[in-house]
Amino acid sequence: MAFREIDLNMGPQHPSTHGVLRLKLAVDNEVVLRVEPVLGYLHRGMEKLWESLTYTQIVPLTDRLDYLASLSNNLAYCLAVEKLAGIEVPRRARYIRVVLAELQRLASHLAWTGFMANDIGAMSVLLYGFEAREDILDIFEEYCGARLTVHGIRIGGAVHDLDGPLVSRIRAVLERIPKRLADIRSLLDENRIWKERTVGIGRITAGEAIDYGLTGPPLRACGVAWDMRKDIPYSSYDDFDFDVPLGTNGDVYDRYLVRLEEICQSIRIVGQALDGLPEGEFKAKVPRVLKIAPGEAFHTIEAPKGVLGFTVRSNGTDKPERVKMKSPSFINLQSLEHLCQGNLFSDVIGILGSLDIVLGEIDK
Amino acid sequence: MRRLRRFLKSFFLVDILRGLAVTLRLYFSRKVTVEYPEKVQEPAPRFRGLPRLYRDEKGEPLCIACKLCQRACGTNCFDIEGKRKEGAKFMRPEKFDWKLDRCTFCGFCVEVCPTSAIRFSPEFRLTGVRKDGLLFHRDQMYLLGDDLQDHLCGGCRRVP
Amino acid sequence: MTPFVADVLIPLGKIAAVILYPMVMVVVMIWLERRVVALMQGRLGPNRVGFQGVLQPVADAVKLFFKEDIIPRQADKLLFNISPVLVMFSSLLAFCFVPLGEPVRIGTTTLTLWIADSPVGLLIVLGLSSISVFGVIFGGWASNSKYPLMGALRSVIQVLSYEIPTGLAVLTVVFLARSMDLVEIVRRQEASGVWYGFLMPVSFVVFWISAVAETNRAPFDLPEAESELVAGYHTEYSGMKFAYFYMAEYAHMVLVSSLVVILFFGGWLPPFQGVKALAFLHAVPGFIWYLVKIMFFLYLYVWIRATLPRYRFDSLIRLVWKWLIPLALANFLVVALVRFLR
Repeated sequence: MAFREIDLNMGPQHPSTHGVLRLKLAVDNEVVLRVEPVLGYLHRGMEKLWESLTYTQIVPLTDRLDYLASLSNNLAYCLAVEKLAGIEVPRRARYIRVVLAELQRLASHLAWTGFMANDIGAMSVLLYGFEAREDILDIFEEYCGARLTVHGIRIGGAVHDLDGPLVSRIRAVLERIPKRLADIRSLLDENRIWKERTVGIGRITAGEAIDYGLTGPPLRACGVAWDMRKDIPYSSYDDFDFDVPLGTNGDVYDRYLVRLEEICQSIRIVGQALDGLPEGEFKAKVPRVLKIAPGEAFHTIEAPKGVLGFTVRSNGTDKPERVKMKSPSFINLQSLEHLCQGNLFSDVIGILGSLDIVLGEIDK
Repeated sequence: MRRLRRFLKSFFLVDILRGLAVTLRLYFSRKVTVEYPEKVQEPAPRFRGLPRLYRDEKGEPLCIACKLCQRACGTNCFDIEGKRKEGAKFMRPEKFDWKLDRCTFCGFCVEVCPTSAIRFSPEFRLTGVRKDGLLFHRDQMYLLGDDLQDHLCGGCRRVP
Repeated sequence: MTPFVADVLIPLGKIAAVILYPMVMVVVMIWLERRVVALMQGRLGPNRVGFQGVLQPVADAVKLFFKEDIIPRQADKLLFNISPVLVMFSSLLAFCFVPLGEPVRIGTTTLTLWIADSPVGLLIVLGLSSISVFGVIFGGWASNSKYPLMGALRSVIQVLSYEIPTGLAVLTVVFLARSMDLVEIVRRQEASGVWYGFLMPVSFVVFWISAVAETNRAPFDLPEAESELVAGYHTEYSGMKFAYFYMAEYAHMVLVSSLVVILFFGGWLPPFQGVKALAFLHAVPGFIWYLVKIMFFLYLYVWIRATLPRYRFDSLIRLVWKWLIPLALANFLVVALVRFLR
């Protein structure tokens, strides 16, 4: 039975569109012909809202963008404001930020592994990933009292100091994660079904990936060594010794391997940062009412999803004139149609999952 | 030879058996979930639960109605009016309305408070059944967690 | 015994048993699935309703009973209403032909533990279990919605393809037992002393894989792939109709497990028949052994579901046509040859 091209609406309520994304698919039987993402179901007018808030009041709202990696958003925004205001962040604060940001990367990647596996049907991995992530969220709760929308990084530094008990707790968690990871890997890595569902699916070449503006793990899975932490180091990342994992094929399987390897690298970075935690202040002296002379600054970081950037323009008052966000999920989503072309309907879910999008960040 | 080994491995479903072994091992492992209403995982000391107002040891209110929290709040949760009574040393809040439905639990109010009058309680159950249950007046802000819970929702009380 | 008891009461009792027994097994299976999957994932699963949550499926059924019954406006009403019944009916009917044990002697009468004793019982059971695919097709078609339609299409192709290796695997058993009577097959295994599952492991594996595929279970649960097709062919169903589909799926699993046990693992026979030292195993009633074996295969279903990702459509078909069917054919030829030479 052959039926010609039908339009299929995936979302905004669908089990695996990762939130309220709507995909307009044109499918011929099971083969996908066109994919059109429809956005805006989670639009909250963030960028406009920020114009009516002071620089400090914006920070907790950045938590709500990429809610699986709220500390990365905090960090990117704070770095942009610090660049604009010329605030020098103490070295200890920079290290604490690295610890927090890398823990957040761990949490985000672990959650991704779970979601991705669940999309492809391995439902247990979801729980294993979440179990490991829960340990990290417990650390965040211990550190600043919140688990998801953490608000743990402030302009000029961090919100609290990292004290001894917390450091040893982080170390204990870091030792537990590789065990969990080994379970996940023995469930998925060699599994024939997993490989059939991921190897060679959603391939993109390095050149095309650069043309589409892909960043983060999807770009590195094509073999392009572009990592902000290495290439344009910020927040003392150049003090640490770590590798940038690269893939070769640029398919879903390579994105999976790159993310899992990044988890190992993040564990390394956190360990080094805790070992070399310098003495000093954990927060720079920042005036309570921060007024910044007219100017503009742009700062990017390597967020778990890709290159996250904030442009902040000031006008001399305590509120920004304009804050613009360059969100990695939004830009990575552009390539979806290219990745899905000619694949089967089932693969759309895997490919969408492999891009690791978060709708809070796409719709802003 | 390597191809033969790969073929045999795939023919005897080695990858799938390995996966089955992992799930079987975890079947007997320790469970991580907490049976919620009976057992409650205590929040961390710094947990940002419902903010509430505190008194000092003598029972005097700590709040001096300086409205710093109101100004620090990014989402306009507070509506405070203070008044200095005849002969009193400090202003005291006459009206201290706090709206739970607007709060983002960012912690700015707690950070700026000069007298540490407003602090986070470990109360994490924020459900209300009516909209006016989400508006807290001054006297309710002085109550402890469980009494606040009466104000919110009677249905999900902690089992003693 | 009066004719009234023999001709009316006993058949009525058997009919009640044939409806009740699968239903109880379904309830146990749903509970087992949720508990076992939960335990494998580091959580506890339902443990509130009844002892350790055994009554959770009953509570769910009661809830579904009171839910609104929604029929989409564009749906084909007749087919939409008939398909859940068809699915349920065909799986329940098949249980009439599945024996639960050897005839029991009570006083002077013998009570047979099956309703219908047919010389081609195996064929009828396989045929009836294939009828349920019509319910799936009708349900998917009648919903007049795209996800159910795709689920139904997948289901048809999947069940049709996997019938072939199932048939070939079953044929080897029929070859050895020289009978299609399910009771006779078990008796032959008793006589030969070796269960066919150990005699012909390839037949067993092929049959099991295709059975998992035919019952639309993970990793072959494409027709209802949750993350792709929402709920597949029963996306538009609600209330009791949904419960019918749901229960029929589990009843089908119980049926297939019973078949596996009867065909390959000696039905109600106790293990280690030949070993004298383990003769005390015969003291346990055959029905208990039967249940224990069925439970093992139901557990295997759940275990596989908790472990494996889902196949994609094309690789599913490739698996059956490029691997299972040639394997089953070769196995069939070998068995036929051995049978011919002996």
